[in-house]
Amino acid sequence: MTKVKICGLKEEQHVKAAERADAIGFVFAPSKRQVTIEQATELAKHIPVDTDKIGVFVNASLEEIEDAIARVPLTMVQLHGDEPDELVGAIQVPVIQAFSIRRKEDTDQLKKSIADYVLVDAPGTDYRGGSGKVFDWSLLDGADIDPSRLIVAGGLKPENVHAAITQTTPYMVDVSSGVETDGRKDTAKIQEFIKQVKDDSMEQTIEKVGFFGKYGGQFVPETLMKAVKELEDAYNEVKEDPEFQKEYHHYLSEYVGREQPLTFAQRMTESLGGPKIYLKREDLNHTGAHKVNNAIGQALLAMRMGKRKIVAETGAGQHGVATATICALFDLECVIFMGEEDIKRQQLNVFRMKLLGARVESVTKGSATLKDAVNEALRYWVSNVEDTHYLIGSALGPHPFPTMVRDFQSVIGDETKRQILEKEGRLPDAILACVGGGSNAIGMFYPFIKDKDVQLIGVEAAGQGVDTDRHAATLTKGTEGVLHGAMMKLLQDDAGQVQEAHSISAGLDYPGIGPEHAYLADIGRVEYRSITDKEALDAVISMSRLEGIIPALESAHAIAEAEKQAKTMTADQILVICVSGRGDKDMATYAEKLEGLS
Amino acid sequence: MKRLEQLKNSGNKAFVAYIMAGDGGLGRLKEQVQYLQGAGVTAIEIGIPFSDPVADGPTIEAAGNRALKHGVTLQKVLEEMKSWTFQVEIPLLIMTYLNPVLKFGVERFASECSKAGVSAVIIPDLPYEHKELVQPHTDKEGIKLIQLVTLTTTDVRLADILSGAEGFVYAVTVKGITGSRDEMSEDVKAFMRKVREKSPVPVYAGFGISKSSHVDMLRDDVDGFIVGSAIVEAFNDNRIQEIEPLINAVTATHSV
Ligand SMILES: Cc1ncc(COP(=O)(O)O)c(C=O)c1O
Repeated sequence: MTKVKICGLKEEQHVKAAERADAIGFVFAPSKRQVTIEQATELAKHIPVDTDKIGVFVNASLEEIEDAIARVPLTMVQLHGDEPDELVGAIQVPVIQAFSIRRKEDTDQLKKSIADYVLVDAPGTDYRGGSGKVFDWSLLDGADIDPSRLIVAGGLKPENVHAAITQTTPYMVDVSSGVETDGRKDTAKIQEFIKQVKDDSMEQTIEKVGFFGKYGGQFVPETLMKAVKELEDAYNEVKEDPEFQKEYHHYLSEYVGREQPLTFAQRMTESLGGPKIYLKREDLNHTGAHKVNNAIGQALLAMRMGKRKIVAETGAGQHGVATATICALFDLECVIFMGEEDIKRQQLNVFRMKLLGARVESVTKGSATLKDAVNEALRYWVSNVEDTHYLIGSALGPHPFPTMVRDFQSVIGDETKRQILEKEGRLPDAILACVGGGSNAIGMFYPFIKDKDVQLIGVEAAGQGVDTDRHAATLTKGTEGVLHGAMMKLLQDDAGQVQEAHSISAGLDYPGIGPEHAYLADIGRVEYRSITDKEALDAVISMSRLEGIIPALESAHAIAEAEKQAKTMTADQILVICVSGRGDKDMATYAEKLEGLS
Repeated sequence: MKRLEQLKNSGNKAFVAYIMAGDGGLGRLKEQVQYLQGAGVTAIEIGIPFSDPVADGPTIEAAGNRALKHGVTLQKVLEEMKSWTFQVEIPLLIMTYLNPVLKFGVERFASECSKAGVSAVIIPDLPYEHKELVQPHTDKEGIKLIQLVTLTTTDVRLADILSGAEGFVYAVTVKGITGSRDEMSEDVKAFMRKVREKSPVPVYAGFGISKSSHVDMLRDDVDGFIVGSAIVEAFNDNRIQEIEPLINAVTATHSV
């Protein structure tokens, strides 16, 4: 996200107003905004520790600059004069070099600068150090400036900063006169400017109101509204709380066994003859799938809220097992609702949950699968809302669940991003993940959403085929509607009755899709495809034999689509598959469906 | 709906009956409405079946599933109501989950409801926050959008909801879903009193009301009662006459 610098502050109230800024600038050069080192030192006491304090100089000596760095103290230096490269190179903190850009040719200076960052401004009129005139951003078009070292200034104000960011995608935007009234800083304008930058990005606007585009919301009975709002508040609090994050990551590493490898799939790569294929190994998590990442996060949150009873739904039983496991670990009371059909398909997981001390309630209503288990879990929550947390298992349900589950699962994508940069020095060309409700996929995709060159592909279950009435291809075939507390895409009939989904894989057998996926599909950022039961089973065999990894049936959908995708790619490209879980839970199905395998 | 206001002022209590449209086939809807009207109920809520009725308990869910098996839809219910020629003398309400309304089209829903003689609609999964999705359309047709308040509704929210309330306020008596219950918790009385003090419109208690003991307990604190599961069950078992004492217990003029 683009950072914000508020420059030329002289008064404590304005420093405080800029609390959410990423950087504060003090002007030490002659200007109506000039401050002394003593004044800056006083003001700096009111600046949050993680905010950069930047000193602005025009042709000052190295001693003057070093003196200010030590005394204020400054974390960065911004130079507006004709400072020689020797001076720039001698400064110990990161340096921003400012340039006035009049014509396209002026952009050459930017590339030549040895400073860490370059700041572009409109030409000054009376004195140097920023003029407040509007800079013509289009001068940067085709100038080939690395946006990650670009800072844009020059006539920015709350009304136009959005356009500036869209056009130049800079590292930071810098404002001074644009947040002033009659030559003096204006608290309201400072705050409005920061808001325009910070809250402009997609996810922020969404979290504010709980919508992703038109999807999401809180469509729940009134009895649940208080609980949903409380959860929203509690989650907003822990999201920013380093203690909570530390605890969450502690359990992820010490209990779940993270971080999980990004395994290079050598034989699969060779056999497909296309891109280099990497596997993100969520199958190695304790309990066998990604579900536990979310279960830990939510259980910690529930305990913070003083709730020691947990209700959850489960389809494949993976989320039920993860929840039962965490409830055992933290000594929480645990009730799991599971469709009767799924209980039959996933007997081993049912026994696991019981062994872990959970109560498993069979749901015989409707299609007796995941959708009906969610209904029962919601009803249970309505009736026990004061002391019970509903630990939803996918990126579904009323706000804040879809956002919260995504955040707890984003550890998948965050690790993947770091690992692929370490291994390959660049981002992958394509990433695939299966989508049931959408939690492993959104966790994998989210950290890559803004990396436009990374193709993201979600894979739904086509069951017996999307042209039959036995599939779970919600995004391929569904239409807008409200289910389980959110506006999303649904499989439904003409009268708005939700239809049964069908997939060999219990974890994908859901007629809806998380609201964020519905949105990402609409804006075209993620492409959704579908894989049939049979194709998934074939992929189980190929992955088992090529890599010695028996995947979960859900994950096999992503693998099967990856095999198709790989055929369209070249050897110099990279493809990543999220292996969301291992196949242990599906062994009975494999034994039955793959009988006679030789 | 003015009548509800008048009834409140007269001190008499309202009895609102809930039925599931098409339970036993759509043909039964008309006779059920006629029966209840004849039995002296104040208003009737006609439930639209939905595949995923999360606010409902087993009785109403089962009734909905029976209706769905008969192929009942929102559209068919409204068509059926439009075809009625008998004199409807009491307000008819539609109670439906949001999704069938969205699929039908909200604007169309409002205008078809109006043609079918519907005075108000209740949408249990449309909270106050999202009512803008529906209310502009129902407003245009002069149809009231009934709001629910519950034991878990915070005071701030309660004030907001009540300030915009129209028709009547549906005050939920339980922390839970619909369905008959033996006991009513004591804090329900205090809750009803609080709601009634602040509400500009009549306050009706619903969810779990099935016995005259419930009515006796709350009668001084509410303007009326909504009875659902007990009636749905009685119709299904062909013993609706057994509900009459409950109707009478509510509507009888009390001279205390
Ligand atoms: C191994 C595995 N992968 C994927 C899923 C699908 O869920 P989601 O789309 O939320 O990741 C499940 C659900 O049970 C699962 O167990």
